[in-house]
Amino acid sequence: MATESDFDRTGCRQHEALLEDYLNEELSGTDARSTIEHWQNCPFCRASLEDARLSMRLLRAAEPSPDPGPGFARTVMTRIRTAENERITLRADFWQPFVSFGWRFAATATLALTVLVSYNAGWGHRTQPKVVTVRPTEATEIFGPEPVSVPVNGDEAFF
Amino acid sequence: MAASAQVLTLPFQSGEKKADDRELVRLSQNGAQEAFEELVRRHQQRVFALVAGVLHRPDDVEDIAQQVFLKAYLGIKRFDQRAAFSTWLYKIAVNECWDYLRKRKVRPLTYEADLSEEQVSRLEGIVSSSRPPEGPSARAETREVLERMLEVLPEQDRQLLVLKEIEGFSVQELAEILNLNVNTVKVRLFRARGRIMDTYRRRLSPPGKGHAAPGGERKE
Repeated sequence: MATESDFDRTGCRQHEALLEDYLNEELSGTDARSTIEHWQNCPFCRASLEDARLSMRLLRAAEPSPDPGPGFARTVMTRIRTAENERITLRADFWQPFVSFGWRFAATATLALTVLVSYNAGWGHRTQPKVVTVRPTEATEIFGPEPVSVPVNGDEAFF
Repeated sequence: MAASAQVLTLPFQSGEKKADDRELVRLSQNGAQEAFEELVRRHQQRVFALVAGVLHRPDDVEDIAQQVFLKAYLGIKRFDQRAAFSTWLYKIAVNECWDYLRKRKVRPLTYEADLSEEQVSRLEGIVSSSRPPEGPSARAETREVLERMLEVLPEQDRQLLVLKEIEGFSVQELAEILNLNVNTVKVRLFRARGRIMDTYRRRLSPPGKGHAAPGGERKE
C-alpha cells in the first residue's frame, strides 16, 4: 500500500503537477521525458495516474450546468435599469437639502443686494451731508497766557 | 449623448464583424446598455456554471448570477481592462458566492443518504466501460450522484474538480479566479482525483465487486 511517506520517499510529490499536465495532454519537452520515465518506474505514480484517469472519465459523464437561456439577459437588464433608477433617486434625495439651502441662500443674498443698491441709488442721495466748518486755531490761544480775571471771593483769591 | 450615438452603431447589432469583449466593455463604460446586454449573453452560461460549481445550491444559482452581472455593471467604469473581462467577471462571481455563503451562514448542501444500487451500478458502468450516459436527463442524474460523492472532499477541492471536469474551466482560469498558484491547482486537482476514487471504492463498491485500488489507500 502506498502511503504518504512512500510518496515523499520516492520523490513522487515533485511529479504531481506534471502528472496533472500529462493527464490533460499538456506536457512537453524535458518535463514530459522525466515524468514519463518516473511513472514508468514508479508503481505509486502509475496507480495514481490510473485513478486520475478513472476519475476524469467519471466526472466528465456528468451534465454541465445548462445555459440559462435568452430570458436571463433580459431579466438582468431589467434589474440593472431598476437599480439605476433607484440610484438616481437616492442621489437626488441625498443632495435635496443642500440644493434647497442653496436656493434659500441665493434668494436672501439677492434681496439684500437689492436693498443695498436701491438705498445707494435712491433715498440715500436725498439726505444732505452735515457740513462742519473748522475754524483754524491760533497758536497763541494754546500757548499764550490765560486771561486775567478779578477773584470773586477768598477761595479764588487763594488759588 | 455620445452613448446614444454609439448604440446606433454597435457592430454586433448591424451584423458586421462580431465585436470583441474589449470593445463591448468600452461601450458599456460609456453607458451603452445594449453592449452590456451582449456581454451578459456571452458570459451567462459560464457564470451560471461557476456559481453552480461553487454554491452547490441549484435554487440560488440564478439569483446570485443576476447579482454578479448587476455588480459588474455598477463597477464596469472602474475596470481598466488589464485583465480579460471574463476573468474579472468570474472573480466577481466567486466573491459573490463566498459572500452569500458567509452571510447566510450556510454550507453547501450535504447529502447523507447512501446511494441506491441502481446509482452505484450506473457509476460502475461509467468507470468500467468508459461509455458516458446518454441523454441530458441521465447525465443530470449522474451529476447528482457524483455531487454526493464529492461531498467527502474539502470544499475547495470539490469546487476545483467540479469546475475543471464538469464545467470545463481550464487550470489557468481556475488559478486566476481562485487566486491560487497554477501548480497548486494542479497538485490539488491530482490529489482530489485520487481521493474521489478512494471514496468510490470504499463507499460505493460492494466487497468483491469493485475495482481494486491500484495504488492502495492514500493518506493526506
